[in-house]
Parts: sequence; structure tokens; C-alpha cells
Amino acid sequence: MSDVVIAGYVRSPFHPAHRGALAKVRPDDLAANTVKGLIERSGVNAEDIEDLLLGCAFPEGEQGFNLARLVVLLADLPLSIGGMTMNRFCGSSMSAVHYAAGQIACGAGEVFIAAGVESMSRVPMTGFNPMPNPELAKRSAAYVGMGDTAENVARKYELSREAQEAFALTSQQKAGEAVKKGVFKDEIVPVTLPDGTVIDTDGTPRPDTTAEGLAGLKLSFDENGTVTAGTASPLTDGCAAVLVCSADYAAKNGLKVMAKVKSMAISGCAPEIMGIGPVEASKKALKRAGITMDDIDVVELNEAFSSQSLACIGDLGIPEGKINLDGGAIAIGHPLGATGARIVGKAASLLQREGKKHALVTQCIGGGQGIATILEAA
Amino acid sequence: MPENTQDKSIKKVCVIGAGTMGAGIAAQIANAGVPVLLLDIVPKDGDNRNAIAEGAVKKMLKADPAPFMGKRPAKLVETGNIEDDLDKVAECDWVVEAIIERLDIKQNLYAKLEEVRKDGTAVSSNTSTIPLEQLTDGRSDAFKRDFLITHFFNPPRYMRLIELVAGPKTDKATLEMVREFVDRKLGKTPVDAEDSPGFIANRIGTFWIQQAVNSAFDMGLTVEEADEIGGRPMGVPKTGIFGLIDLIGIDLMPHLMESLTSTLPEDDWYQKIARKETLIEGMIESGYTGRKGKGGFYTLEKGEGGQRTKMAKDLKSGEYRAAARPGIVQGSAKKDLKALISQKGKVGDYAWAILGPTLSYAASIVPEATATVVGVDDAMKLGYNWKSGPFEMIDKIGVAHLVERLEADDLPVPEILRKADGRSFYRVENGKRQYLGTDGEYHDVERPDGVLLLEDIKLSAEPIIANGSAALWDVGDGVVALEFTGKANALDEQVMKLIQKAIPLVKKDYKALVVYNEGSNFSVGANLGLAMFAMNIAAWSEVEKLVKGGQDAYKALKYAPFPVVSAPAGMTVGGGCEICLNSDAIQAHAETYIGLVETGVGIVPGWGGCGEMLSRWIDNPRHPNGPMPAVSKCFEIISTATVAKSATEAKEYGFLRRDDGVTMNRDRLLYEAKQRALAMADGYEAPEKPEYRLPGPSGKAALELAVESFHRQGKATDHDLTVAGELATILTGGDTDITEVLSEADLLKLERESFMRLVRNPKSQARVEHMLETNKPLRN
Repeated sequence: MSDVVIAGYVRSPFHPAHRGALAKVRPDDLAANTVKGLIERSGVNAEDIEDLLLGCAFPEGEQGFNLARLVVLLADLPLSIGGMTMNRFCGSSMSAVHYAAGQIACGAGEVFIAAGVESMSRVPMTGFNPMPNPELAKRSAAYVGMGDTAENVARKYELSREAQEAFALTSQQKAGEAVKKGVFKDEIVPVTLPDGTVIDTDGTPRPDTTAEGLAGLKLSFDENGTVTAGTASPLTDGCAAVLVCSADYAAKNGLKVMAKVKSMAISGCAPEIMGIGPVEASKKALKRAGITMDDIDVVELNEAFSSQSLACIGDLGIPEGKINLDGGAIAIGHPLGATGARIVGKAASLLQREGKKHALVTQCIGGGQGIATILEAA
Repeated sequence: MPENTQDKSIKKVCVIGAGTMGAGIAAQIANAGVPVLLLDIVPKDGDNRNAIAEGAVKKMLKADPAPFMGKRPAKLVETGNIEDDLDKVAECDWVVEAIIERLDIKQNLYAKLEEVRKDGTAVSSNTSTIPLEQLTDGRSDAFKRDFLITHFFNPPRYMRLIELVAGPKTDKATLEMVREFVDRKLGKTPVDAEDSPGFIANRIGTFWIQQAVNSAFDMGLTVEEADEIGGRPMGVPKTGIFGLIDLIGIDLMPHLMESLTSTLPEDDWYQKIARKETLIEGMIESGYTGRKGKGGFYTLEKGEGGQRTKMAKDLKSGEYRAAARPGIVQGSAKKDLKALISQKGKVGDYAWAILGPTLSYAASIVPEATATVVGVDDAMKLGYNWKSGPFEMIDKIGVAHLVERLEADDLPVPEILRKADGRSFYRVENGKRQYLGTDGEYHDVERPDGVLLLEDIKLSAEPIIANGSAALWDVGDGVVALEFTGKANALDEQVMKLIQKAIPLVKKDYKALVVYNEGSNFSVGANLGLAMFAMNIAAWSEVEKLVKGGQDAYKALKYAPFPVVSAPAGMTVGGGCEICLNSDAIQAHAETYIGLVETGVGIVPGWGGCGEMLSRWIDNPRHPNGPMPAVSKCFEIISTATVAKSATEAKEYGFLRRDDGVTMNRDRLLYEAKQRALAMADGYEAPEKPEYRLPGPSGKAALELAVESFHRQGKATDHDLTVAGELATILTGGDTDITEVLSEADLLKLERESFMRLVRNPKSQARVEHMLETNKPLRN
């Protein structure tokens, strides 16, 4: 059995939902454009790809039918490539990576695209037709709003508004710095709008954010709470994709290997504090990799909210200088289905850039789950 | 000179000058659905050469009261500057100039306009001070033929008056083209004025304010006393004089005075009364310019607990002190003008000090400022919101009595008062309203084509049927109008009875029915006082009868074998909204404020409003399909008691359907509603009964999750959860399942059940009681 490696990572520009430059772009078109970019940049022979795995948290409307297969057709990829749309909410496209790794490990294919897309402009969060099970809604927090979970975590972990804002400010500053250095250029596949406008940068980061500005924002979810729009990831339109293949295949075909998939894990937790999902998932993944937090050099932790990020950082004992080096979702945005692929790809590229050995990639998932992946330098 | 034979209609307008007036005029043109180019000068600094016009549009989008009737109209305003974009005037059929009041600058602009405009394009100035003759000095005859003054009032969306001044050379076709446009499209009432200083309304209005201020100072009245006497009892806005000055801006007063004193002849009466008060000058200098400034004659002072106290300026000391409610106008003086000015003491003295000279002055400007007394009355009613015009007031006092008082005080008695010779200025003859002309003869008050008023019909007709709360009128051509006649046009059992009685009558003898009235509000809904009374004595079966009676009457109207068109204007909420929703079509006045506000008093729409709103959103092709989108949208609109701020906005909320009509001019509403009804009458078939496929408890769970979230955010109160829960039950179809189909009757039953549960709830009762007592919603 061969090692599983990440041999390519791209993403679309990320733009705020509704008011951003991608609001009028269909998610299937956005995904087709990004996947084509991945194939071009990675140099993979498209004929060899087994399956396109596409994460999406609200697969209805323009994200409906079997979106993954439609993207294969839209992108004019070989008809031989399969397509499966996957949903684990925010963990969808990291799950796509895990599924691909599993398939490779058990010999059910050599090359996979693990991608994710979400147009939060065009398909609302909760979907067009939320119809919760009334009994379940009564007896559990299964359908609780994400903002409310952020407040619950802040309360449980006694995280002050100031601490959350300091974390958000740092994320914005790191992202601002990364934009300045042009590091996102390598990962972004530009989008050309029907009028010919080319979108090749993110619309999400707010590098001018100040502590005073954040302190002045209104509370978003609870009049007695601490969470604001400034300490939450913005609703975002975006897509991300990674190429997952066997180490043998990569070597045979001269693909540039970014990182090796060392271990993977899923865990569940109470829905009302879903934000701490990464804690147990990360512990499981570390154990499976046979390493400890001390061995981790780089962490990509999805910043759904400042509060849950801080809680996870505390519980896992992640040292400050290792986390989200180019900024996190609070600044860059969180297109639900796309985030997992973005942070896996990002962590792989950071291992290369920083010349480090181990990366932990993890995120929380609505409904009460955590997902984690450990990467190792190739 | 050949008459202009081009197509005389206005399809695009250019407004030059993006100040308050220019921008507001542009907004109203856009509100009419007509594209408009708004130009101003290029700013001295900055890169954006259109910054001034663009800034004006942006500011208007945030202003309250809103100059725009919705988001769509704002998109019809194209911005630019007079250096780069003046040649676009060639595409326009009318150019409105609303720039600074300086003759040289205006003349300069006209010279440039002459180069770029096409022949036949009307050019008008919004000047309030400069004579037309001077404005067109030096221009070609062709320009003069197309030039006139169109004097709008502030704010242009809301004030109905427009004064039109034509010069000796103005082409009649141009004048009529503009008149037609401002009347039908902008909804204004044009009043023809002569080219005399201040035209009509500002000439009288400025005199009136000056006289009232002078007299208050001279007689040592407080501002509250002055406003109590000079406000409501005289039928002028309840702000009174000082409150009105606060509203329009104290700093504007010296400008108005200046412009009139410099243009009126020296022997004009106004020259004698124009004077400045040190106290007022001091207020302006220190920024106390009224509501827009630090404060005015009144101000609201915030106490420690955040409560606001109304303060009033002491005219002697210049200090603020808590505002008083003098309560000095008593008895018949409250409503009877003659009694008011005849009272002994300061009430009568002050009232006469204002009215004597003001009415005399107003009478003196006919025909110098306008040809007829009707013009003067219309100008003051529509431009200053007076309930009655000066000549209508004179009729109330009695011409002979007024002349007697004027003579006794040695005040001027204008010729027209002498000519009246004791006769009233208005009378009704053969069912027609007539006015007294300067020739000493009576003439019919003519209505323009397409203006139909119940007020006029009532002069000679009796209702077909009527009771204490409603009446049915024959409005001609086989159409009847259902009028609400109760207090505030409140709806009760009597209205429902009259509807049921009307249906067989209309079916037998008429073609169509229009729901219409001429109150300032179409209807503020069910009579809450009656409902409260029934609740207090726990007469639940009576309450339920009222709910059921309303449902039956509205549905009977909906399925009657003739078209029903509702024609709302002003506030149209609760049951007032529901009768519109149950009609075949709505022809709404542009200034219609429609909404289902029941949740504010702790109840839910009970006369079919829920089902009708659902139908509208389910049928909306622009809204996503599925069991939830229409339900969620209706829930959002009704649970927050949303009231549309215009007919345009009402379409966005779905209270009006896309093909429902909007009438800009209030006076044309009945006519246009009637035409709409007649157009549907031939081969009319009542609508099919709707069927609903609703999500049931699953959908309700989703809505409740959303409300709970609002509750945590502090945006929904405890009782809101209960009320919204009942609303959610109705809109999601109660215990239905997505596989089942509900009828209209099922939804009506759900409405009744929820309504009855809520009226029994003490917290809902507290809301009703609070609304009756304070006219404000209780947030419990």
C-alpha cells in the first residue's frame, strides 16, 4: 500500500456573500473554474483521475442535483471521471480528502480531486426550506444557530469580548500581511465575470481593522453576549480544491508532492458547543499519527469564531506562533463546503514554505463534530 | 409663430442643482418611474467630478422622511455635472433648474442651456424669489416660449402644491405639457400664479408667520400659548407657529424676509411688519436653528434616566424651561373660528392679531398674485397644510363680521371683501361647488379631467345605503364606492353588515365596487376600543363573532360576482390592509402605508390576511419555490408588523401585486380605481379558491428557532415568542403535513383559533389597552 499525498492546491478568490464580486457567479461555474485551474497547475493527467469529490454544506438550488458530477461536465473533464457531492457541513471538503485517502489506501483508485464549494449569496445558510424535526428541535440543540454556539463556548470558557477581538485583529493583520507579500497569488485561480472583469484577489480581508473599530461593533447573537460580526467568520462565496493521489503515482508522473497525509479523525460533541469539536478530533488524529502536540510545527485551525478558536487553542495547548500563519477564516472567509480543502491545501503549502515537518489541520462542524488531519512533509 | 407640433409628453427630465429642493424634485420624478438626470457643479476639490450629485442621492437614501419611495426609483437617477454632461439635456423633455437664487448665475446657465436643449424642451426654474421676466432677459424667443417657473414646496415628495408661473411669451403647449406631468406623474396640484413676488403661498405664509411672531412678542405670550392658540383651533398644523419655524429652520426666516422685502413694493403691508427679534438672531448665531440644529423654540432634553423632557424657550429670558400645556383655549373656541377671535382676553386677542391682518392680506393679493380665491385657498392648504384656505376661513367667520372687525381696528379692507358684499366666497348651487370671482359673480369650481371626488358627489347625492360605520355611494358608470365613515375609519360589525348588504345590491344594479374614502387614512384597522370592551367583559363569543363576521364579509366580497378594487391612501393597516388583500385588484395612492400590524397589539391577522399574503408570495415567480420560502417571508413581514412606506415598497413586500396600480395624484385615485374596476367588469369571473401545501410542524419548528434567536439578541420580547408562535402555526398550516392540501377555509379557521387564544391572553390584552391609551405598542 502506497502513501497518500497532497500534490496540488488551488482556490478561488474569496468574497463576502451578497455584496462581494462573486455574488452573481453560480457555484457550479465557480467550482468548474477552480477544478480546471487545479488540473492545469498540478500538471496531472486528467484521464487518470478516478473521482471528483465535492464538499457542499447546502446542496440545493444551484448547488443541487449531484453537483460534483455536474462540475465534471461543466469543466469539460473526461467523462470517465466520477463525481460525488459530500456533506458534513463545514467539514465537507476535509471529509472529501479523507475519503480520497481511504480509497487510495484500499486500492480503489490512485488520483482524486477533493474539492469544496459554497455560494452563501445564492443558497442561504439553512437552505431554502429548513424543516427541522419538531421533536428533535425540542429535545436537543441539533438545529442551534452557529452564533449561539459561539456564545455558549465563550461563556463556558470565560472568554472576554476583548480577548476574542484581539484574536480577530491578529487574524486580520496576518492576512493583511500575506496579501501584501502576495502569497495568495499562488493559490488563487482567477475568475472572469461575464463582463470581462477578472477577479484575482480576495474581497474578504479587512486589513484596516482596529481594536477600536471592533470594540464599537454591535453584538450579533445575544444582547448579553460577547460575539460580534468582527469576531465571526463572514458569510463567503468561494471554492477550494486539492489533488490527492498515491505517492507512487506522484513519483511516476513527476507531480510535485506538497505533503503526506499522516492521519485523520472525526469526533462528535454536544451540538450547543460544536466549536470545541477540533479538540477531540485533533487528539485522536495525533494519537493515530503517533505524535504529540509538541511535534506539530504548523496548525491550520478554521476560525469559525474567535471564541471557539481560543477555546480549542487553550485545550490543545497550541503555541501562538504556529497557528494560521497567513490569517484564518475571520479574515479570509468561510465558504462552508470549501473551507476544509482550503486549510488542508494551505497547511501542505506552509510545510513546504516554512520547511517544517508536521501540520495539524482541524475544524469544528455545526451539529457538534470535529474533524482533523495530520500532514507530514513529503 | 408656429405652434410646436412635436410630441408633447415628458419621458426624461434633467434637474440641475442637487440641493435639498433639486435632489428632492429629482427623487419624486424617479418615484414616478421617469428617468432623471441630476446635475450639479464640479466640486472644487477631489477626483470625482460628480461628487455633489452623487452625494445628494446617497444622502437621500438615508433621509427620513424618505425622498425616495423605494430602492428601485433611486436607480432611475443618473448623476453628473454641468461641465461634462450638459449636452445630455438634448435627450430630455423638461429641464428643472433648482440652483442658487442668484440672477446672474441662473442667466448664465440658461445661456448654456439654450445651446444644448432641443426646441420644445421645457425649461423651468424653481425660484421662489426672482421674477420670470428677469430670468429670461437676453434669451431668444424660442427659449422664452418654452420657459416657465415651477415652484415646488419642501419636501417635494410630500407637499402637494406646485405653483406654475407662465410668462407673456410662454407657449401654451409647453405649459400644458408641464402641468399634465406634474399633476399626473408627480401627483402635485398645480396652482397658476402670476409673476409677482413670493407668488402665493410663501407671500401669505411669510406674512402670517411674521405677524404671529410679532404679536407673540408684543403681547408677552409664551411659545406654548401662542402655538396652542395659533395651531389646531385655526386648522393649521398642530405644531403651531413656533413649532413650524423649528421644523423649517429658524435660519431660513431672515432669508425669506430679505427676499420679500427686496422684491415687494415699498407700500406693501409686509414691509411694515417685517422685523427682526434680537432673541431670534441670537439663537441663529449660536446654532439654535430648530430641529436640524441644537434646538429651537422647543427642544428635547435628555434626563439622567434617558427619558426626554420637552423644553420651551422663554421669549423674555431666552432660557429653556420645561414646556407647559397651557390649556387656555376652551369650549367653542377650539372649533369655531368666529368664537375664537371673539373671545375676551389673550386667546381672542392673539387669534385676532394673527387672523385679522393675515386674512385681510390674503384677500388683498387676488388677483395680483393669482386669479381666483380658489388658487389662494389651494395654495395654503397644499403648501402650508392648512385645513382651510384663507377664504374658507373668511366664510367661517362671515364676510360681514370680518369687514366689521377690520374696520373697527382700522385695518385695510381689500376690494374683494367689499365686492363680496356680505356674500360667502363659496356656495353650492345645483350640486356644484361655486366660488365668488373678482367680477362679483359665482363660478363653478372646475375639476381637471380624470379627477373624481366623493366630496363633490356628496354635494348633491345621498348614499345608496349607509349606517354608522360605512356608506355605499353611486360614483357613476355603474360603479359603487364603499366608504368607511367611523372614527379614524375603524372597522367594526357595522362595516361587515353593510358589505353583506351591498353585495346583492351591486349584483343586481351595478357593475363593480370600489373600496375608497377621503379620510387622511384609508383605515387603521378594527375598532380596538370595541374589542377591548368585549375582552374586559370576557364576551368571547362576541369577539369570535366579530372575527368570523369579518372573514365572511371579506370573502363574500372576494367571491362576489363583480370586480372589487380597493383604493387605499395613507395608513392602511390591519383590517384595512386585509380588505385590500381580499380585493380583485388594488389601485393605491403612491403615499399608501400598508401593513399587517396586528402582532403589535398581541394578536394575529384574523380577516384572511395570512392566507392572502401566503398566496401572494407563493405566486411570486421571483421568490424561490418549496414549502418554506413563502411561509418564511410572510412570517418575517407579519411578525415584525412591517408597514410599507409607499405603494412602491408595498409591491416589494407583496401587499400589492406587481400588476396592481399606483396613482400619484390623490385627487385622481377614485377615478383610476373606478376605471380599473370597469375594465374588469365585462366577462368578470370571481377568482378560484386557493389551495395551500404547507410544511406543518416542521416549518413551525424552523420559524420558532429563528424567533428564539431574535429573542436572545434582544430583538423579540417574551410575549413576542407567544404571538409569533401563533402566527407560525397559521402560516405553516397548523397540524398539516407536506403531503396534504389545505383550503382557504382551513386557514381561516387557523386564524380564528390563534386569534381567540391570543385575545384571552392577559399579555395581549395589556398590549391592546396600552395602544388605546398611548397610541404606542407595548413591548411586553
